[in-house]
Amino acid sequence: MEKLLNKNKFDSLITGLKKQGYKTIAPKKDNRLVTLDEIEDANEISLDHVITNNSIKEFFLPKTEKILSYTIDKNKVEMEEPEGFAVKSVIFGSRPCDAFSLPVMDKVFNWDSVDKFWVERREAITIVTISCDKCDSYCFCTSVGLAPDAKQGSDVLLTKISNDEYLVETVTEKGENLVKELESVFSDPPSGTPDRQVATVEKKFEIDKVKPWLDENFEHNVWDDFSNKCIGCGACTFVCPTCHCFDIVDECTMTKGDRVKNWDGCQFTMFTMHTSGHNPRSTQGMRWRQRIMHKFKYYVEKFDSTLCVGCGRCSRVCPADMNISEMLEIIETEAGK
Amino acid sequence: MDNIYRPYLMTISDMTDEAPGVRTFRLNFSDEEEGKNFKFQTGQFGLYSVFGAGESTFCIASSPTREDYIECTFREAGRVTKALRELNVGDTIGFRGPYGNVFPIDKWEGKNLVFVAGGIALPPLRSVIWNCLDLRDKYKDVTIIYGAKTVDDLVYKNELKEWEARDDINLVTTVDPGGETPEWTGKVGFVPTVVEEAAPDSKDTIAIVCGPPIMIKFTLPVLEKLGFKHDKVYTTLENRMKCGLGKCGRCNIGCTYVCKEGPVFTAEEISKMPDEF
Amino acid sequence: MIEELRKKAEELLKNGTVKVVFGYGEGSVPERTRPVFITKPEDVNKLTWNKYCVYNLTTYLKRQETRKLGKPALILKGCDARTIIVLLKECQIKREDVYIIGVTCDGVGDPLAEKCKACDVHTPLIYDDLVGEKIENKEIPFEERYAELDEYEKLGEKEKWEFWQKQFEKCIKCYACSNICPLCFCDRCIVEKNQPQWIDPSAHARGNLSWNVTRAYHLAGRCINCEECQRVCPVDIPLNLLNKKLAKEAEKSFDYRPGYNIDDELAMSTYKENDDQDFFK
Repeated sequence: MEKLLNKNKFDSLITGLKKQGYKTIAPKKDNRLVTLDEIEDANEISLDHVITNNSIKEFFLPKTEKILSYTIDKNKVEMEEPEGFAVKSVIFGSRPCDAFSLPVMDKVFNWDSVDKFWVERREAITIVTISCDKCDSYCFCTSVGLAPDAKQGSDVLLTKISNDEYLVETVTEKGENLVKELESVFSDPPSGTPDRQVATVEKKFEIDKVKPWLDENFEHNVWDDFSNKCIGCGACTFVCPTCHCFDIVDECTMTKGDRVKNWDGCQFTMFTMHTSGHNPRSTQGMRWRQRIMHKFKYYVEKFDSTLCVGCGRCSRVCPADMNISEMLEIIETEAGK
Repeated sequence: MDNIYRPYLMTISDMTDEAPGVRTFRLNFSDEEEGKNFKFQTGQFGLYSVFGAGESTFCIASSPTREDYIECTFREAGRVTKALRELNVGDTIGFRGPYGNVFPIDKWEGKNLVFVAGGIALPPLRSVIWNCLDLRDKYKDVTIIYGAKTVDDLVYKNELKEWEARDDINLVTTVDPGGETPEWTGKVGFVPTVVEEAAPDSKDTIAIVCGPPIMIKFTLPVLEKLGFKHDKVYTTLENRMKCGLGKCGRCNIGCTYVCKEGPVFTAEEISKMPDEF
Repeated sequence: MIEELRKKAEELLKNGTVKVVFGYGEGSVPERTRPVFITKPEDVNKLTWNKYCVYNLTTYLKRQETRKLGKPALILKGCDARTIIVLLKECQIKREDVYIIGVTCDGVGDPLAEKCKACDVHTPLIYDDLVGEKIENKEIPFEERYAELDEYEKLGEKEKWEFWQKQFEKCIKCYACSNICPLCFCDRCIVEKNQPQWIDPSAHARGNLSWNVTRAYHLAGRCINCEECQRVCPVDIPLNLLNKKLAKEAEKSFDYRPGYNIDDELAMSTYKENDDQDFFK
């Protein structure tokens, strides 16, 4: 279904969503950053950024969440299921790269066993994506097979066609239902071919060259050389829309506690540390290799999908200017030798 | 929807101190119905938890042929194992499982079996040893070669006596040089050396090996010399785990997730893995 | 300046004084530089110098991957060089194990970094070689040095609490702050210990508050306010505000500023009989 949305209808849109019982998450200005956060009012929305600082990942896989609660008494344990974590919401203003991360991650969270904390949130949240009309030099979605106006993962896709107007395209049934629910906010689609304002994202490397090289080069000096400056923090991992590694810990008082799922990252030294003190990935080079391998080889072999959407956030936030597309360009060069 | 991270509640019905720092728990399902429906196969593992301290990964050290309980054996090493040791018979712990792949014991029928284990690595093999012994007729010769640092460090001391007494098992026990006591009647020597001396026949034989990395490193070449092909040698690997379900991204060795495609591997599969464990 | 740096680096590598030079190289975009580790004399052209040379390269002294490259020469600004003095006093490095190429600096960052607005170490206080135009170190009065705290100090106790609660809510526990900090050099950080779990690694209110406050306390009286933690925080928490406030308190209480004088005794590990003891109740 195609429709038109005018900026002057944003107010009615947000009010309408509230009336329909949706929590609305949209890009908000927060000092120097633009972050996706809950909004109450349309005038909180800020849309002149390239990409938000955070990805939509945290709305499906929060940085910390309870997966079990219990009361402790030596001979008696009562367990309680966490409830109310899947809140009916709309994310208004996701980017196509972010939206695409969702079907990619669906694969691991549904691999044999089904993680209800992921799945129930996926069911409860509707994604309204806005195509990118500009990009910066960190963006590389086109190098991983995506586009700044790609539809996959979104329920509704908005594309700018003039200063105040967006072309509205529903992608899924969920998206169509949302548009129907808020009919009055949308107007009829434009006649003729609309002037879709979509950014040109320069291709930086050939993804087809990457995996064959990774298959043969588990041992290579590039891993140590490139990661010398890496400080081994989790910034890249945590801002990444497709990084999903997690930790499970218990937190308790004398009488009750919770089992908690937290974001974790393969760049930390302790990630693979055994209790015995043995660490299979004891150097940053090995850990950096794991990051690249997982995203561009292992996930591809297991799930036929690259675990990277080319958003460039990791490279933007990296304290030491580790640049992932630069790494992949180096691999492409090495592959050509 | 089911919560895949929710454990079974288990009651500790018995415990045995095997060696300094090493203890075995016998566990019964607190909910009888859950216990009746619970099935596992030899080789699989689980995540055992102390509520409040956390979860830890151990193999299921008992055999699926013994249906009323499961057992685990662990050494006190960190936060969770320390908390486990502070528990008593009658206390409740959590258990998530069974996870992982299995020893293909039906493929081994009609063959000779050689089990080689070292120290705290006997528990992962004890499940498959029991399973095969409970189905003794299906297998031909059974040899068990087990060694530890000292006499005290040998685990399952009672079972070792039982196995010694049987005439349908060839049991060879050994301790490292310097680890013997005056009463010790077993061998003295490192496990790989003892395996070489025992020289089990590789024809129609499956070897199942488990031990610390250094023992494996020296035992595999011995087996190779004796004619064991890589696809006839099995082992079970350990790696740091959290979810056990292939989702938390921690336990992979190269492309292989130890919790899903392991922990049981053939030497052939291991030779193809990158050096990351 | 750039030519001088490259020449110096080349000389030190060629004559074997050092095995590696820690310096600044071109970054992903013109508005960034990146840390570079030059081991071959022919690679010194990778070194650069501009207003984007914000990194405090002393942090790489704690990492095994860069330590194994051999004895380093470090290109250090005045603020970075203060770290060396603290590391020397805390017995983390030996003077003969590092070669310092000091650079005179009139400010980094665009916009100008907060720390540069009241800088009194344009010329480093410790170095083996000095590169760059002469810039005099002027003494800056106490009030001016802590001027950035003025707005914050107007807040009442309750308001301060709410301010930090709001800021720490953003924290994602990535530990970029402690990993970039040269003075967070513990082999195993307190947050990585779990017997007991002193600080929850979880990114909830309790876990975030205990982490950020504990780190600030562990740096009190030691932190030289290089502002790297604040620069690297991916969610823009004003970490240096907290560190700067504690630095002010440490200076008031002990008349001590870390990293200025190699002969100063460390405030946090020195006992003097006339120390204020009214906190004993």
